[in-house]
Amino acid sequence: MSILANKDTRVVIQGGQAGVNAARRMAEFCYLIKRPLNVEAFVYPPDAGKSNEIPYGSGLIAIPVYKSIAEATKHHPTLNTSLVYIGADRAMKGGMEALDDSHIKVVSMITEGVPEKDAKILGAHARKLGKVFNGPSSIGIISAGACRLGVIGGAFDNLVLSKLYREGSFGVITKSGGLSNEIIWICSQFADGITTAIGIGGDAYPGTDYVSYLEMFENDPQTKAVVIVGEMGGDLEERAAEWYGAKKRRVKLIAVVSGFCQESLPKGMKFGHAGAKEGMKGEGSARSKSDALKKAGALVPPTFGALGPAIKETYQDLLKSGQVKEPVEPATLPRLPKTVEEAMKADEVMVSPLIRTTISDDRGDEPCYDGYPASELINKGYEIPHVIGLLWDKRLISKQEAEIIKRIMMLSADHGPCVSGAYATILAACAGIGLSQSVAAGMIMIGPRFGGAVTDAGRFFKHAVDNKMSVDEFLVYMKKNHGPVPGIGHRVKSLRNPDKRVKELVGYVKSLHIKTPCLDFALEVEKITSVKKDNLILNVDGTMAAVLVDIGFPVDSLNGFFILSRTIGLIGHWVDQKRQDSRLIRLFDYLVNYAAPKRREVPPLK
Amino acid sequence: MAKVLEGPGMGLMKKWGINVPNYVVVTSVDELSRLGQANEWLKKSKLVAKAHEALGSRFKLGLVKIDLDFKAAEAATKEMIGRQVGSITVTQVIVSEMIPHKEEYYCAVKSTREGSEILVANCGGIEVESNWERVKRLCLEIGQSPSPESLEKLSKEAGFSGTLLKKMAEFAGKMFACFDSEDAQYLEVNPVVLRAADEELVALDAVTLLDGDAKFRHPDWNFAFAAEFGRAYSKQELEVMAVDSKIKGSVKFIEIPGGDTAMLPAGGGASVYYSDAVVARGGKLANYAEYSGDPPDWAVEVLTEKVCSLPGIRNIIVGGAIANFTDVKKTFGGIINGFRKAKSEGKLKSVKIWVRRGGPREKEGLDAMRALKEEGFDINVFDRNTPLTDIVDKALQAK
Repeated sequence: MSILANKDTRVVIQGGQAGVNAARRMAEFCYLIKRPLNVEAFVYPPDAGKSNEIPYGSGLIAIPVYKSIAEATKHHPTLNTSLVYIGADRAMKGGMEALDDSHIKVVSMITEGVPEKDAKILGAHARKLGKVFNGPSSIGIISAGACRLGVIGGAFDNLVLSKLYREGSFGVITKSGGLSNEIIWICSQFADGITTAIGIGGDAYPGTDYVSYLEMFENDPQTKAVVIVGEMGGDLEERAAEWYGAKKRRVKLIAVVSGFCQESLPKGMKFGHAGAKEGMKGEGSARSKSDALKKAGALVPPTFGALGPAIKETYQDLLKSGQVKEPVEPATLPRLPKTVEEAMKADEVMVSPLIRTTISDDRGDEPCYDGYPASELINKGYEIPHVIGLLWDKRLISKQEAEIIKRIMMLSADHGPCVSGAYATILAACAGIGLSQSVAAGMIMIGPRFGGAVTDAGRFFKHAVDNKMSVDEFLVYMKKNHGPVPGIGHRVKSLRNPDKRVKELVGYVKSLHIKTPCLDFALEVEKITSVKKDNLILNVDGTMAAVLVDIGFPVDSLNGFFILSRTIGLIGHWVDQKRQDSRLIRLFDYLVNYAAPKRREVPPLK
Repeated sequence: MAKVLEGPGMGLMKKWGINVPNYVVVTSVDELSRLGQANEWLKKSKLVAKAHEALGSRFKLGLVKIDLDFKAAEAATKEMIGRQVGSITVTQVIVSEMIPHKEEYYCAVKSTREGSEILVANCGGIEVESNWERVKRLCLEIGQSPSPESLEKLSKEAGFSGTLLKKMAEFAGKMFACFDSEDAQYLEVNPVVLRAADEELVALDAVTLLDGDAKFRHPDWNFAFAAEFGRAYSKQELEVMAVDSKIKGSVKFIEIPGGDTAMLPAGGGASVYYSDAVVARGGKLANYAEYSGDPPDWAVEVLTEKVCSLPGIRNIIVGGAIANFTDVKKTFGGIINGFRKAKSEGKLKSVKIWVRRGGPREKEGLDAMRALKEEGFDINVFDRNTPLTDIVDKALQAK
């Protein structure tokens, strides 16, 4: 047997994420004692109509979320208990809603910082209705082997260690949440464990006090002794003493009270819980409480440390008198399935990874590029081109190489609104399309005819240099196998109207006196082709390609330099159109050569 | 509980129709002089000047001056502002009019488990403290307001008669209205005086304790709460309070000068048992501290830094019960960072650290603490199998 929470307890949880976390803990307990999940519904208006997924064993149970308690109890008429996980400013309204529903008999509130007045109103209302209002600031209620309300009992391992899977003989009532767990543990180590443990909350005026529960324990034949953990302040412990001393009680009472240190501390110093405040003229002090309990016949160990032995002594007496028997432990207990991470940590499973990466890792406190922490790169003076070097070619490039990349990017960032990429982005921007899609529209244009020749140009120049081809051999090879040479030729630029970007880049690279076999070869190619036709000059794609191959970048990365640089321009165009609030544009008819057949009659469908 | 200084306390009483003396709260003598131009009563009445700070025994300290004219009040203000008392600098002075009176009475409203209690006595000042049996009570259940008849009955029981009986009943009624509407936990006026000029009851001195948790529904509480133990909060304490107000869960820190055992325990319940154990062992607490409700690790780190900075400490007690949902590894991570920081700043020399804890991820957390040994910390780590406060015994026995 147990009190308050038992096998018939069916729970609705009022609140959001904190409530879901509690439900998860409750599901762990239900799984341990091999019973179905005792949470049937949530009430949380923002999520009404949805459901919360609660892990149970290795599966997931969907628990519906309702708008109100009334709606929840209509769909789940067996609900009889509500747990309140609502913020302090709305907690009273939530608690009242639960108390006022005829299905709900027990309401336990975990919310901390509830105004005293609200707590008193809730407590008084519950008493009037003959219901139980536990809390505020309650960690919850747990009945061993039967029912867990809230997170009391802690993690799964602790539930097992504290033998909460089966009933013992000790009732526990505490104000403190952390100490409830401690006492449960002590009862399991020094005696046979608990029947029910209740956190009444550390506020000054909890809805139900020690006496309410002592009375219930007295009427629960399984509970042979009750441990209460008191605190200075208020008069709840004195009331408990009064109850215990009033007549012969069946249950034994063991009690400790904290706050003796106040005797040697500055006056008025506030401690731990809101309810722990100094009483007037010795009244409410730890000493007066402890004396009152002793006088009433309770076993009051002098310190917290002596509590274990006191519980043990009580248990031995109960064994001797035959009131309790040594408990029988179950042969096996369900084990909580581990998550993949936990199992891996324990070296229990091996998982073959889905993807493999060799460039970056952000599992620490900051991203590392090819092993180098980003902040360290910044602080040691490295710049964007070095990051490109690390992420695209897994190497720390030199200052000089970085300068070349920087210049390439600056020269290719934009080429006005008329080119395919920018035009597509502008068209999309004018149609009201968002940034990423508009930039993607421009990006789609990058291909063999626009900006996308860098990789191929680099590949073929490199092929020629690697195979020591002459320019003539190369041109024959290209004509035979591939067609026009990528990187050669321009739509508008020519020998007489040279591309200044190319001149600039070639001039700079040449000034560095580094070996540039590809660039040299490309310039030789240009000499021949430009004679054949004025506009068959080395274009910016071809120049970039040759230079990048010369400084060691892999051929497959080369288009990336154009894509990256031009993204700067495409973003610029989108922002520019947005800033001007440009309107939808369409082609004028006079810009279209309508070469389609003239209007004609549709023949009958055959 | 949140204590409110006289100025804002009288403001709240005035709001609910209770007569209070005219008063001003000033931060400089210039401000008082300016107010003197605008407020005739300051020039006409006899005045009282008091340091408006959370200080005990202000009379003895010379921080209350009575029977002043305006010039003398200015002089008193000038003298008080900037005065250093312990850790507190006087920054505000409250100047109020003296109310000529003959009789002094007592009225208070206090919170009880069932609701509240109205207390009335027909004596006041020091007299009521030595004649506590003359205080008469009216108990009210939560949600219940006192009827005029019941207040008059109370007033009669306390020994009032005639017109004064009615006036005292009305006064007590207003006190209750203020108490109930302002989420007060304790309201005491001692003395209530009968103003000679108009035969009205006036609240001369007030103690106001409000429920800090109810602040969310009182947008007009534009005043700061005062420390409740006769001194102002220290800079370190205020810094921890600032962190506390920002986080889920909580961190708390109060310094106790002169102690040598520093506390860094978890949980509002266990922390007091740890303090008790130190005192029971004859140790001297250097502080009270607590973290609870699974606070973020950075908040625990701030708390740890403050604890490590306490002067003259020899032991740090990192105690805690078996947590329900506070992540031991995460919160210990914050403590460990704090320890490392303190050590790198040259603190924690010859300080012994004692750890006992259980709860979610206890093994990982305790292992991380144990590993600090290799970094040169003098640390002793225990798990749930060591009873809660045994580390205090070990710490205080160790030489």
